Amino acid sequence: MGDALDDALLAAGLLLVAAAATAAALCRDPARQAVLLSLLGLGLALLFTVLQAPDVGLSQLAVGSAVTPLMLLLTVRKVRRRKRHE
Amino acid sequence: MNGWLAAACALVVGGLGPSLWGAARGTTGRRVVAQNMATLLLCLVLLLLAQGYGRPSYTDLALVVCVLGPAGTLVYIRLLGEEIEKHPPGARLLTPAVTIGAPATVVPLCVATGPGRAMAKLLVIGALLVAGGLVTTRALRRG
Repeated sequence: MGDALDDALLAAGLLLVAAAATAAALCRDPARQAVLLSLLGLGLALLFTVLQAPDVGLSQLAVGSAVTPLMLLLTVRKVRRRKRHE
Repeated sequence: MNGWLAAACALVVGGLGPSLWGAARGTTGRRVVAQNMATLLLCLVLLLLAQGYGRPSYTDLALVVCVLGPAGTLVYIRLLGEEIEKHPPGARLLTPAVTIGAPATVVPLCVATGPGRAMAKLLVIGALLVAGGLVTTRALRRG
């Protein structure tokens, strides 16, 4: 029974990551894409934990859910501000 | 039958799935609310997984999520403030989810682990979750 549950968790994590990645790739607005990318990071962290690699999950959490979206948003903000000045 | 893992699986399918849907469709404000909801649910899922696998050290992941989640949401609110103000999102579900979901997960885990350092850690995570939920809800309402 435990194996079936492990498989179900693994399938759920994989589906979540696939869906989040597809949604992030199809999104055209960078600001909204940043939100989806952070969800993709959360999904990957879950997947790594289910695969018994919590150390990888920990770094994925820090990078994927915090640093990458923050850099994207700061870039978008800077570009928009420059456009407004011109 | 491992009830903890079953609960985690149910939370992933029934909680993280809809949050992803909310983050992929809808206004910017709704996406930010959905992202905050996802961090809350992931924190609870990681706590349940740590108990289900019998590895208390996995709770570190939940601790990181419950600190980074609200911080990330505050960053989004700060940088996307104008777009969020145009279409203010409904954050009705957020407060009940935090105030009911966090204790409903943390208290059974505390009972299962028994008194000690692990239980103190669980209580700290629960308190951080509730505090983060309240702070982000207030920030979202103010815009």
